[in-house]
Amino acid sequence: MPELGRAALVVTLGLALYALVAGAWAASKRRRRLAQSAQNALLAAFGTSLVAAAVLAVALVRRDYSLVYVWQFTSSELPLRYTISSLWGGQAGSLLFWLVVLCGYSAAAILLNRRSSRDLLAWTVPVLAAVAVFFSLLLVAVASPFVTQVAPLDGRGLNPSLQNPYMLAHPIFLYLGYVGLTVPFAFAMGALLSRRTDERWIVVTRRATLVAWTALGVGQLLGSKWAYEEVGWGGFYAWDPVENAALMPWLAATAYLHSVMVQEKRGMLRIWNVLLVILAFALSIFGTFLTRSGILTSIHSFTQSSIGAWFLGFLTLTVAGSLALLFSRLPLLRARTRLESLVSREATFLYNNLLLVALCLTILWGVVYPILSEAVRGEGANLGAGYYNFFLRVFGLPLLLLMGIGPLVAWRRASWRSLGLTFLWPLGVATATGGVLLALGAGSSIPGLIAYTFSAFVLAAIVLEFARGTRARRALGDPTWLRALTRLIGRNRRRYGGYLVHASIVMLAIGIAGSSAYDSVREGKLARGDTISISGYRLQYRALEERAGPNATELRAVFGVERNGDDLGTVAAGKNAYTAERQVSNEVGLRHDYLTAEDLFVIAEQIDPDGSVYVRIFVKPLVNLLWLSGVLFLLGALVTLWPDAREQRRLAVRYSVAGVPSRS
Amino acid sequence: MARKRSPARLVIALSVAAVLVVFLLYTSIAGRGTPMIQPSELRGRTEIVSLAGHVVGTPSGNPHAGRLKFQLRDIRGGAREKVTVLYRGSVPDLFRPGRDVVVDGQLRNGIFVAVPGSLITKCPSKYAPDPQQT
Repeated sequence: MPELGRAALVVTLGLALYALVAGAWAASKRRRRLAQSAQNALLAAFGTSLVAAAVLAVALVRRDYSLVYVWQFTSSELPLRYTISSLWGGQAGSLLFWLVVLCGYSAAAILLNRRSSRDLLAWTVPVLAAVAVFFSLLLVAVASPFVTQVAPLDGRGLNPSLQNPYMLAHPIFLYLGYVGLTVPFAFAMGALLSRRTDERWIVVTRRATLVAWTALGVGQLLGSKWAYEEVGWGGFYAWDPVENAALMPWLAATAYLHSVMVQEKRGMLRIWNVLLVILAFALSIFGTFLTRSGILTSIHSFTQSSIGAWFLGFLTLTVAGSLALLFSRLPLLRARTRLESLVSREATFLYNNLLLVALCLTILWGVVYPILSEAVRGEGANLGAGYYNFFLRVFGLPLLLLMGIGPLVAWRRASWRSLGLTFLWPLGVATATGGVLLALGAGSSIPGLIAYTFSAFVLAAIVLEFARGTRARRALGDPTWLRALTRLIGRNRRRYGGYLVHASIVMLAIGIAGSSAYDSVREGKLARGDTISISGYRLQYRALEERAGPNATELRAVFGVERNGDDLGTVAAGKNAYTAERQVSNEVGLRHDYLTAEDLFVIAEQIDPDGSVYVRIFVKPLVNLLWLSGVLFLLGALVTLWPDAREQRRLAVRYSVAGVPSRS
Repeated sequence: MARKRSPARLVIALSVAAVLVVFLLYTSIAGRGTPMIQPSELRGRTEIVSLAGHVVGTPSGNPHAGRLKFQLRDIRGGAREKVTVLYRGSVPDLFRPGRDVVVDGQLRNGIFVAVPGSLITKCPSKYAPDPQQT
């Protein structure tokens, strides 16, 4: 079986190489048949990479310890579902998963566009193939998942903290996001190479970019939820390099998604958009480099490995190559129109972009600072959470406000008078909210208060938009309010889906501000029967229980919870001792309040032999809005992604002159 | 609101961004970072540092009632110096002799007094586990 896997990888490498060389040859010599053959090779590469992944999956499920990879990441006691997740739990497996997703995206891009955008695809295929060559080369030559050994009796098991349902979904979404960013990058490069520098590459990749961006966003939230429940220090984001590695490309992609609208509508920012696509793709590779090279100290801490040099080389090549290409095509990318006013939709998009990119680069600076410091001063130094939090406020709060302003400002040029009328209500709501919150004591955190006031402004603006639109549709003859609302959304999916996404980001901001600016914490040592109180809750330590789980011994301290005299049941916190992995893992106790979105969060830091526990308890207001915002985010993204026949027709008309080189 | 001037304004916006970047460089270079050092480099330094080391010997004491006491040695290189660390607060699940840890704190009278709750273990990676661990 391992031979089959290895062979499949070698064939994948061969097919990708062929797609690269033949595709580039065909595109430069305008050989149509050869170009098709290159496309087919990439389609076939998807098939062979799937075979390799299937071989590894079967080996994992059968616990075939003669494969080093299987032995490293599974054990006989490991539940089946986590055996599957071992597929992407280790270095080689995750690279294989990356390759499969990449080939899948490439195949989809080819199948969806081979009729309508043949000329654009001609140069896109070699770019996609080049990335596939890199990953399959790594899998064949550097980090093969099919290395064999004399089979030991049992495997070493999966890191206990990865044995969590969120770890089944989180990496999948993250990889869908990371890898998906290759598609707009490849099309952008394809457009530059074929000198088709009009807006078509943007239109063609809109959905792929949205899918990648949505997956990356959802993946990060799932990761935060995992960190919150499993790592259990009471937070959900620690500005760790590994977390930042996912956040940075997401921010770049967010900027891109906004600025392409300016290019679509007004033909501006064309160079900027290519730059953003390069930045997003480069950051996704850079993130992988960070997490695999062991160059940084991180909680996730990855040991030194030679694979880092490969990623660094690939990253350098990619950035240098794409920038050189962009530079050589600059004359083709001159904007056809100019910014007419600083108070216009274009301008607000520009501000949004500057803020997003500034935030992204600030984080990048924080991430590479230890490396630079080591290189320059000969001694490493870390920028703490304070650095990131400071700049999150400096750039994030204005971004939050812009989210309410931007969508309501007219294109080209807006008058102050009309702006005043538009924002009368949102301003009123925001002021009232700020005043009420201040009276309620939210002034204990100024950034928190500002975040809430801005959030109220944005939400009011969004609700107002929905209300206006629905009323207009009702006036046009839709029979019921509900019908008018669904029609409104259905007819303007991008716009109203976008509003839903904005609402979800506001919700996220409210959740972050609530749980980080207004939380409370207490700790203490409790003997059986002792009680501890924290912001209205009263916890009594009732019992210490021990039970045998499937692959671990579970020790739990059980607490009875009361709030203002009401019995709220029990919360259990403790530790799991994993047998095969010989590790202990903290298991926190959580009580969600579904009405107020508040969490009671109990960590049993230490359980002494005499049965007493040392606990640390958090009360985190509004923290559940974070997870809820993920649902709304996904919903909004799906609305914008849903196929729209009318829009397709419109685009078909606009680009019916396919084949004509761009005006330049 | 002159009509033809807009690219200049774009430049202004970009330069604002550039100023911000400079500001950033400044604040970071100006020493907001915490130095990351190894036990052998600790001698004579009294500022707050991030100490990365290999846990040796047997830790003693209680991190919640009183202090946890353990010793760190350089992770890389042959330096034999050991430093004693006094620590209070949460101890990560993976903490034990033989592991690499990072802890913030400062040297006082030859003993490294840690910032409470700052202990982090550098666990063997999920991407490339250390074969000696089993």
